[in-house]
Amino acid sequence: MKNYDTLIKDLAPRKFTKKGVIWTSFLVIVIIIGAIAYIDQVRQGQIVTNMRDYALWGIYISNFVFFVATSFVGSVIVSFLRLTKNEWRTPLVRIAEIITLASITMAGITIMLDMARPDRLLNLFIHARLQSPITWDVIIIPTFLVISFLLLYFPLLPDLAILKDYFKKSKPGLSKMYGKLSLNWTGTEKQKALQTKSIKIIAILLIPVGLVLQTVDAWLFSTTYRIGWDSTNMGGYFISGAIVAGVGALITVAYVIRRVYKLEKYITEFHFDKLGKLLALACLIYLYFNMNEYLIPSYTPSKGEAIHLNTLFTGSYASLFWLVTVVGLIVPAIAMFFKNGRKPYPMFIIGLIVVIGSWWKRFIIITPTLLHPFLPIEGVPESWRHYFPSLHEWLITIATLAMALLIITLLVRYLPVIPIQRTAEELNLNNNDLNEASS
Amino acid sequence: MRRKNHICPFFISLVSLLILGFSVQDIQAQEVKKNKLRINAQYVKISNGESYFDIKASARVEKKNVAVSGIEINVSNTSEGGQIELGKTVTNHNGKTKFILKDFNALKSDTTGIFNIAISFKGNKMYTRAKRSISFRDVNLSAEMVVKDSINYIEARLTDVDENPIADLPLKIELQRLIRNYLLGDEFNMTDENGAIFVPIEEQFPGVEGKLIFEVVLNENDDFGTVKTLVEANIGIPIVDESTFNERTMWSTRDKTPIFLLIFPNILIIGTWGLIMYLIINLFKISKAKT
Repeated sequence: MKNYDTLIKDLAPRKFTKKGVIWTSFLVIVIIIGAIAYIDQVRQGQIVTNMRDYALWGIYISNFVFFVATSFVGSVIVSFLRLTKNEWRTPLVRIAEIITLASITMAGITIMLDMARPDRLLNLFIHARLQSPITWDVIIIPTFLVISFLLLYFPLLPDLAILKDYFKKSKPGLSKMYGKLSLNWTGTEKQKALQTKSIKIIAILLIPVGLVLQTVDAWLFSTTYRIGWDSTNMGGYFISGAIVAGVGALITVAYVIRRVYKLEKYITEFHFDKLGKLLALACLIYLYFNMNEYLIPSYTPSKGEAIHLNTLFTGSYASLFWLVTVVGLIVPAIAMFFKNGRKPYPMFIIGLIVVIGSWWKRFIIITPTLLHPFLPIEGVPESWRHYFPSLHEWLITIATLAMALLIITLLVRYLPVIPIQRTAEELNLNNNDLNEASS
Repeated sequence: MRRKNHICPFFISLVSLLILGFSVQDIQAQEVKKNKLRINAQYVKISNGESYFDIKASARVEKKNVAVSGIEINVSNTSEGGQIELGKTVTNHNGKTKFILKDFNALKSDTTGIFNIAISFKGNKMYTRAKRSISFRDVNLSAEMVVKDSINYIEARLTDVDENPIADLPLKIELQRLIRNYLLGDEFNMTDENGAIFVPIEEQFPGVEGKLIFEVVLNENDDFGTVKTLVEANIGIPIVDESTFNERTMWSTRDKTPIFLLIFPNILIIGTWGLIMYLIINLFKISKAKT
């Protein structure tokens, strides 16, 4: 990797391999199946789900909260690390930006899937009440979505210009598309100044907006007077949980991309080591908020809260609760303390466990509370006392996860997953090299 | 071939057995014992108001009394002239229903002035048919609030349709409250030879704008059913309205959003979207600044 040609060749988007085609086709099939299930849900109504009067929020909402949480990775990796001048972030920022955009896009779509009457979506805006946390969510999600897009797009401009030249002869069509998307980027001083300034604004803006997004998500629950949700701890609890989910997702995706695109020279063990330490810190902070959320209330619980906590600690949700707490949080934190635990492959396994644990964690936050209303559940069918998603719910939810992965896959297919320009600068490849290589 | 000859009769007998089994099951299913349905009904008249029948359907199922919901009840008036269909009603999830008489004057009584009503259920797959007959006479119950020596009294009078007083019947005085009525005076106040009672209201009660509604009730009488009359009086302690309906609160409608909630979130929204617009403009500027 001594010259710029090698760098571009390594980092430029590549055609799908056979495995890539199979993977993409698989995702498309899953999405089509989910779309059919969704059409059936719209036609028949939400009677096809297992949501009823008590469990009125099911896996659609836990899935939505998971997507919102995962989207926080952009704020963490790009903004926090940029503002604290952690240079090791470079090969990971683009992946973080892609995950952020995919997650927040799917969060917005998932919330619509939960609506029994999606045709009334506009009413959320037309009849919005600023007193309602739902309205805050309706405002913050599109805001974060646009910022996430800009976060991905601004740093891409020089890379798109490089790709325009790189594909000029081999793929003129693709080159033309990159040319249009690069917005006539030639790297003039004025363009660089505007870009640097804009990225700085986005990096700063992303932190409060990201924090507001996670907090509003938490307030959707904590502003209701319900056992398990009515907690002042929720904001911090959600933010720390979002860091865990986001970093877990980043580790997993980064490992797969590194392996598939053979980027071991760029995303090194050093980067995984750093991510491992970050994940350990995130897990410990999240563990602290978990203690505040579950352990402290168990000392002085009201009757209803005692029932709720017992359900989690020793009751019907105990296995899931302890699984996500121990396997999804404590074990990863411990594993990260060992150098061998922070190697790429163990990190991938742990990242995957953390992501799956994070998904089920949202289920644990939402469902048991709904099944513990203040007034006893009486005079309703027995099935209303329990909740487990129906086939429709599973198919639609799995399709949303597949759609998020498809967005990531397509962006990875057509965009350089590691910033070319910035990497070149860090490797001290001078402008002449850049220009020569570009031409 | 020999083997086949053996299999065929065996196969036929097996299929026959299965069909027979299903048939027996079917016959058994058809012969499931129906539960005996019971109907309870009570005639209720509110003077100068509606008259109705409170109907309840129940059955003894597995040694337990259960309310029977969703069944159709027929109500008809029987007299010398025959049977007049008054209408139908369906029991709710508690097995209860209220059948309101649209026009009391349309009811026909017998020569002695007794109204005979038949309330029936024609039966279905699960419950036997059932019928309940109730008879009642019409009666007038009037009441008013009077003040004597600065004390409030409820004066009520019970008379028959010819305005003849009805003596020695127990009347109750109750005050309407949010959850259930509050009994005033004695449990039973017997009507005198003029068919009247005179009950003092000595306690002070709160009411919205000082308004209290008293009920004078002749309860579940064998001859007359339940008869009520309402008396409104502005003698209560006015309740101060603590409603925040017209105020700007976190729980009000969007046209009454608190001012602070209009100002600060909008500042944040406008500020953030202002920066977003600035960033988008920067994209245009970058596009123009290629040289």
